Amino acid sequence: MLSSKIRMMRRIFFLIFLIALLGAGYAHGDDTALMLHKSVLSDETGAAAASETVWNSEEGTGETHMSPVAPKSHDDEEAIDEEEEGQEMGEVTIADPLEFFNRAMFQFNDKLYFWVVKPVAQGYSKVVPEIGRSSIKNFFSNLGFPKRFISCLFQADFSGAATELGRFVVNTVWGIGGLLDPAANKDLSLQKQNADIGQTLGRYGLGHGFYVVWPVFGPSSLRDTIDIVGEHFQYPFTYTDPWYVGPSVRACESVNSASLRIGDYEALKEAAIDPYVALRNAYAQYRQKMVQKKEKGEAPAPDGEKPEQRIFQ
Amino acid sequence: MTKINSGAIILSVLVMIVFCGTAFAGGPFGSPQPLSKESGGLRTAIGYWHYEDKFDDGTDHVIRQNQVYSEAAYGKGKAWEAYGRIGLSDLKISNAFRSTQPSTTTSKRDFEDNWNVFGTLGVKGFYPLNEIFGIGAFVQGTYFFRDADDNVYETAGGTSSHMKLRVTDLWDVNFGMGLQATVWRDTKLYAGPYIYYAEARVSPSPDTPGIQLGRRDETLQNKTNVGGFAGIDVPIAKGFRLNMEGQYSERFSAGAAITLVY
Repeated sequence: MLSSKIRMMRRIFFLIFLIALLGAGYAHGDDTALMLHKSVLSDETGAAAASETVWNSEEGTGETHMSPVAPKSHDDEEAIDEEEEGQEMGEVTIADPLEFFNRAMFQFNDKLYFWVVKPVAQGYSKVVPEIGRSSIKNFFSNLGFPKRFISCLFQADFSGAATELGRFVVNTVWGIGGLLDPAANKDLSLQKQNADIGQTLGRYGLGHGFYVVWPVFGPSSLRDTIDIVGEHFQYPFTYTDPWYVGPSVRACESVNSASLRIGDYEALKEAAIDPYVALRNAYAQYRQKMVQKKEKGEAPAPDGEKPEQRIFQ
Repeated sequence: MTKINSGAIILSVLVMIVFCGTAFAGGPFGSPQPLSKESGGLRTAIGYWHYEDKFDDGTDHVIRQNQVYSEAAYGKGKAWEAYGRIGLSDLKISNAFRSTQPSTTTSKRDFEDNWNVFGTLGVKGFYPLNEIFGIGAFVQGTYFFRDADDNVYETAGGTSSHMKLRVTDLWDVNFGMGLQATVWRDTKLYAGPYIYYAEARVSPSPDTPGIQLGRRDETLQNKTNVGGFAGIDVPIAKGFRLNMEGQYSERFSAGAAITLVY
């Protein structure tokens, strides 16, 4: 039974990996790339900066360009130089050929959040005190250990893997099954490694592919969709019987998580002229930053450092 | 100075052990001084406790348990602390199924069960006498949530029958005082007396007069009510501490725990 599941998992992984490889080139072509300037949700400006971005969208062609970057006007060498310089400045590219679909899904998720998730989370937060909700968040975060540990190993980040393993042991044993986070205290200082499969693929040079908004799951890319699938298989409750236990636990986790960050999404939405674009930019930059941080070997940011980061966690 | 103090501590530990009589208990008491940070904070621990004692129903029954537990505590000012434990334990009662009639034989003599869930709650307070010595007091209670049961086959006059024995409502409460000496590198040595009460209900189904605990529903109680304990708590590194403790009565109980203070 278990071996057949593993076989099935391997096949799905291989298929998705193949698709992602084929689609990976999307993000790097000049014609299809969406060039975003650093001003969007940068460290200094925050979410409010999203509204200041000027856009030129060529709908129907699946191409979207954003000023002020225009690589077509330079010769190849200059364009490459400028692109490299831009990358260092935090310039992010992502294609959005499915914009029509994505906008529809964005609306769906938006309504799902405002009509279902937020009211439930608000009611839940009135019943369960913050300390309890934080403990539940810690518990679910601890359950995410397999994903982070494996991703660190795949990135050859053995220090990160050891940190994750140490965190898991300490938090499970001395953190009452993960409800507390003693590993993060200043004596031990074992910080959570924000590593995932999408980031791992990014580190190996795989591009975003293109932007896609999934119903319920939210903003993603072709590459990061693998992360959604991979996380599903690495989530311990996936393998519980009956089948609906896993999704139910996920729903509880989402409500608990949402109850701790009510207002973040609203702030981002209010500050943006086009919330869809603002969220897409924020997502692209956030993911890019995650990959770059790992490449530079920087220490992971504390969990939920900025509102726009918390939205994607 | 340190040598004199150490000698005095060892002597007082020995005195406690020799003169404190006999009893049993449901878990370690820990150092009298709370380990939580002075400014207030949590500490958690995992531990193992091997417990032995005698219950009495006219015949002595040696009780043995191997407990593993997780503990969480909150304290402040190095003066008080409240703590709780949850854990799993086996249970063995010797001679529970001993035959009381010459014509009766039983398939086994001892009651055995595994995976009993228990919970413990306690509070402790501490008063420092000087930089090294201090005294503390605690009260601690344990309750076993899950009923334990075991089956036995009795053969009497060529006829075989089956009996199931259930052990329910196993609980205990302890009150004690301890003297503590803080020696080199915040190592704490402690010892003290305690008083104790424990009971458990046993219910045979059906009543089987030929078996020791199969005669009727009854309540078992601990044979004696006074005991002594001694232990050491050593800092390891990065907030971790190792605690080892022994409690002596008619039987000896001992265990160890690793604590993380944060």
